[in-house]
Amino acid sequence: MAWPNVFQRGTLFSRFSHHHVVVFLLTFFSYSLLHASRKTFSNVKVSISKQWTPSAFNKSIRLPVEIWSSNHLFPSAEEATLFLGTLDTIFLFSYAVGLFISGIVGDRLNLRWVLSFGMCSSSLVVFVFGPVTEWLHFYNKGLYCCLWIGNGLLQSTGWPCVVAVMGNWFGKAGRGVVFGLWSACASVGNILGACLASSVLQYGYEYAFLVTAAVQFAGGIIIFFGLLVSPEEIGLPGIEAEENFDEDAHRPLINGAENEDEHEPNYSIQEGGTVAHVKAISFYQACCLPGVIPYSLAYACLKLVNYSFFFWLPFYLSNNFGWKEAEADKLSIWYDVGGIIGGTLQGFISDMLQKRAPVLALSLLLAVGSLVGYSRSPNDKSINALLMAVTGFFIGGPSNMISSAISADLGRQELIQGSSEALATVTGIVDGTGSIGAAVGQYLVSLIQDNLGWMWVFYFFILMTSCTILFISPLIVREISYLMQRRQTHVLSG
Amino acid sequence: MAPGGPASPSSLVPWAAAVLLVVGAERAPALPEICIQCPGSVRNLSEVALYCKQTPALMLQARCCLNQKGIILGLDLQNCSLKDPGPNFPQAHTAVIIDLQANPLKDDLANIFHGFTQLQTLILPQDVSCPGGINAWDTVTFYINNQTCHGQRNLCNSTGDQEMCPENGSCVPDGPGLLQCVCADGFHGYKCMRQGSFSLLMFFGILGSTTLSISILLWGTQRRKAKAS
Repeated sequence: MAWPNVFQRGTLFSRFSHHHVVVFLLTFFSYSLLHASRKTFSNVKVSISKQWTPSAFNKSIRLPVEIWSSNHLFPSAEEATLFLGTLDTIFLFSYAVGLFISGIVGDRLNLRWVLSFGMCSSSLVVFVFGPVTEWLHFYNKGLYCCLWIGNGLLQSTGWPCVVAVMGNWFGKAGRGVVFGLWSACASVGNILGACLASSVLQYGYEYAFLVTAAVQFAGGIIIFFGLLVSPEEIGLPGIEAEENFDEDAHRPLINGAENEDEHEPNYSIQEGGTVAHVKAISFYQACCLPGVIPYSLAYACLKLVNYSFFFWLPFYLSNNFGWKEAEADKLSIWYDVGGIIGGTLQGFISDMLQKRAPVLALSLLLAVGSLVGYSRSPNDKSINALLMAVTGFFIGGPSNMISSAISADLGRQELIQGSSEALATVTGIVDGTGSIGAAVGQYLVSLIQDNLGWMWVFYFFILMTSCTILFISPLIVREISYLMQRRQTHVLSG
Repeated sequence: MAPGGPASPSSLVPWAAAVLLVVGAERAPALPEICIQCPGSVRNLSEVALYCKQTPALMLQARCCLNQKGIILGLDLQNCSLKDPGPNFPQAHTAVIIDLQANPLKDDLANIFHGFTQLQTLILPQDVSCPGGINAWDTVTFYINNQTCHGQRNLCNSTGDQEMCPENGSCVPDGPGLLQCVCADGFHGYKCMRQGSFSLLMFFGILGSTTLSISILLWGTQRRKAKAS
């Protein structure tokens, strides 16, 4: 293994033990699996709507009823599609509500238990939704709605817990780049879900659900036996202690950190073993933490745009350019790719600057430009894919950053460090508000597209991106002034 | 396995007939109702009798010509005052030859021949046209007091329409002039959307053992030293 070398070189990664790597991978894949089971649902929609409807084949030839038209949950595929869209919205809303709750729960109970329980129970719900109803031939709209509400609530335990665990293990200094890389987990989950679903779809849609649910359940078990929620659990020093420890390695970064300490004096070193004594902060207190509300509102607008791209991009491509659905599905991966690269790179830059808001602001300004550009994309697949990746870079990047790195920053800020557990609660608030935005957005996009056309959808996206900038503008002003101060002190001391 | 396989109710009929035969083998042979619906037996010089005597293994019983398994290959309902062949008629869907002459039949036989895919010779009263029309048969011959429809055609390939059936469906004959869509080779389930069968045992075997080994590995390397919280 190359670990000793890495240790000696004293790079950013020198602090990372094998525990860090395992935690990174476990949290990464547990959220990937949660996202994969969501993606499965959108990938088997065509098969499900076929399963729920009688055959609409109008020829003189006889179609034996038991093969072609014994199921009458919906009279036509259009209505089934509408219902599936409703299920998406229901899911997003209950997911949003669940995020607020499970963040609070996660901070009070053991994160590992909550995450493991969430993964296993939501996989059981998916198992009932897909295979069980299919095997029993019991198709019922009410049952489907109830199951999907339950699935949304249970799935919501995932994100706050994994972000909290990551926040416990990875300190602020390298957080931007580590979290940027790590927040690719949703995109990786999408790809994983698409692969799993398409590989077993020929056996029947219920097997797509069965496979993703079973793998997710297995993931829950592995989390239960393998995850260490914080370094303190095995007697390692907490990240605050470590951040003090490697002053030499990051002279310029630590300068900034010291500046911050002057402004926010509650800095304390958390020793191993204190994890048992900390008390979780209340929901109200978490809302009042500086930056939580602006970032939540900003994320609501940004997640709306980001999720609209996830949900509507393949449809837009096949609708507007007349490309085949399978090709459109494949092309839409480029948006994810742009988002992964954007999140990592912008996280890295924000680590260097020690400030995230200016990076976000610049990226969002460029996002407005890229949206205008993308809306005028010519009917050419490679140019469109390029523009899509650029748009993903400037929209998906900031979105990933707010939902992971910034949430962790907010939940671990100096004001509350050492005295309370707030990480999961804060992550829940930020992502929950974002999910409400995304749920509303799904409805609005279909409404705007129906009545005004695709161009207005893009204008709507531009408006929402501008709102994002507006909501974080106070933070931008504050952080830029910090940066100016820091430069002045540099000039003075140098 | 997905329920609702390719089994159709019409395939239950020979099964039921076989059961009847097995049950009845010890006592008097139980005939399908359609064979005793009309009084008397097959006339000596009728087409059905001639057909039955060509093959030594076949035997005449009441109005039917049966093979050794008790499956109806010939049915002679001539001169039986039938307005329609009655509810038991589908029992004879395996018949190769059917004689319905000298009956006051209504001229609308198209739908009673669902599933009569083996039928090669159908003798009808003169005023009743062949089911499925002239195109459904190789030859239609008119005699003084009857007409004979001979040689059932498979219309699946004749219409020239490539997409006669929905996706994954395949056209098969369903009696004279009749077609139906069943699942194409290898497909099964509702709307024939399913192909092959998923190996649950293998999947859960691999997944279970992988989960177990990763769990043990991670427990050993990560959580073993963890303090109980």
